[in-house]
Amino acid sequence: MTEQETLAFVLASSKALGIPLEAERAARVAAHLHRTVAMAQMLEGAHLTPADEPAEIFCPKSH
Amino acid sequence: MDTQQLSTEAVAQGIATGQFTASEVLAAYMQRIETTDAKVNAFTTPCFERAVQEAKAIDQRRTRGDTLPPLAGVPYAVKNLYDIQGTVTLAGSTVNQTNPPAQADAFLVQQMQAVGAVLVGALNMDEFAYGFTTENTHYGPSHNPHDLSRIAGGSSGGSGAAVAARQVPLSLGSDTNGSIRVPASLCGVWGLKPTFGRLSRRGTYPFVHSIDHLGPFADSLQGLGLAYDALQGVDAYDPGCHAKRVEPVSSNLHHGLHGLRIGVLDGYFHDFATAPARQVVQDAAHVLGVTQTVSWPEAAMARAAAFIITASEGGQLHLDHLRTQADAMEPLSVDRFIAGALQPAAWYVQAQRFRRIYREKVNVLFEDWDVLLAPATPVSAPTIGTEWLDLNGQQLPSRAAMGLLTQPISFAGCPVVVAPMWPNGTEGMPIGVQVIAAPWREEAAFRVAHVLSQSGAAGLKKVGF
Repeated sequence: MTEQETLAFVLASSKALGIPLEAERAARVAAHLHRTVAMAQMLEGAHLTPADEPAEIFCPKSH
Repeated sequence: MDTQQLSTEAVAQGIATGQFTASEVLAAYMQRIETTDAKVNAFTTPCFERAVQEAKAIDQRRTRGDTLPPLAGVPYAVKNLYDIQGTVTLAGSTVNQTNPPAQADAFLVQQMQAVGAVLVGALNMDEFAYGFTTENTHYGPSHNPHDLSRIAGGSSGGSGAAVAARQVPLSLGSDTNGSIRVPASLCGVWGLKPTFGRLSRRGTYPFVHSIDHLGPFADSLQGLGLAYDALQGVDAYDPGCHAKRVEPVSSNLHHGLHGLRIGVLDGYFHDFATAPARQVVQDAAHVLGVTQTVSWPEAAMARAAAFIITASEGGQLHLDHLRTQADAMEPLSVDRFIAGALQPAAWYVQAQRFRRIYREKVNVLFEDWDVLLAPATPVSAPTIGTEWLDLNGQQLPSRAAMGLLTQPISFAGCPVVVAPMWPNGTEGMPIGVQVIAAPWREEAAFRVAHVLSQSGAAGLKKVGF
């Protein structure tokens, strides 16, 4: 995702979530999100199998 | 009474034996707060009237001949995300100021009260715990007591600074990615991030439900153990509290190193540490007779996953604030909260799935080791306002980089005692060593930390005011 594409994503998804963003803030948010893209790409390299479930907290019954 | 000459256990013992009263001790600490906090800015909400009543009650119990509980009369303070009955829980924000006052004390405050500790107030922090520096724009930065031009660390910066300045012998904080360990390291005090799920978080303002931990800071390792023992308790009302029993450590501190397999973390934890941070680990290893190095699995990936989960859960938690009051939020973190709220769900789910296999890899590592050592921070405390750090050949954002060495550990949920140490080349500033144990093995970390404490290699130093 390029910086321009990240900014476009920020503008669209902030609208979907109802977060108003003026231009300067949108640019700062996009810069933060763009840095996180590299981390997400690193995580894509984790060797997960279909059986690897998310870590849990929820417990249906307290014990 | 000079609070810089006292320690948690000395205060408790002095009151129990009648050397001084709880009210006298409290007066000394309140005076210390009043004469130093203009410099330190650790406190946001003192509660001296409540403290006076609690201290009087301890003195009355002693006069009656009652046996006093372990922390009777010991003053302490809490990060201002802990509920204090009758007080608004700020969590470092101004948007919370219009919330109603808390109707009850947080679970851990109740635990402290049950062992006689005296609550003197609430402490400064990064807004909603999203930061490692406590450069809080609303309430001002907390200043490092060993050099007032430098940060105290965060997000529990007030908790670290208050103990370092000897305003209190004990404090409580929270740690999601390093928020107890970073200020303990930078302020030169003892800190404990227990196992994830060990201590109840009920009655505290959350940040990241799936990673939040609570824990104590102390002016001595013995005091840290006494506080930890007091804080433990099974709580069915915190869905993240997995403790099934209380496992005290104070009676085992002196058991020594026999049977403990101890190593030093290399790779990531070496590469992202500056020379003084490496030195404190070498010094600790020398005291402990440790020579072997160990590689922690997937540290960089774990940090990335912790970062993504933190941003996503934190952003979602504050969605209403971001929609309606973003301009009233902390300028240093509000854009990161928004970016987190916008992260694709696939990133978050991938990070949570990774966390499960990561946990297994860390548990396999601890089949061969009992305790591992690493620096708590890459550097000593930077000057307030520092934007960038040069680490491992990279220029990194300073505020985020302070948690580089703590995030992979808390993401696995391992307990960590931070031992305050004092390297060369930092202009007298401390850096802490993380004494890391397998999940639910706090006692092993405490035994190792006790040896560091007894040797004189780790401990507090006086401040210059």
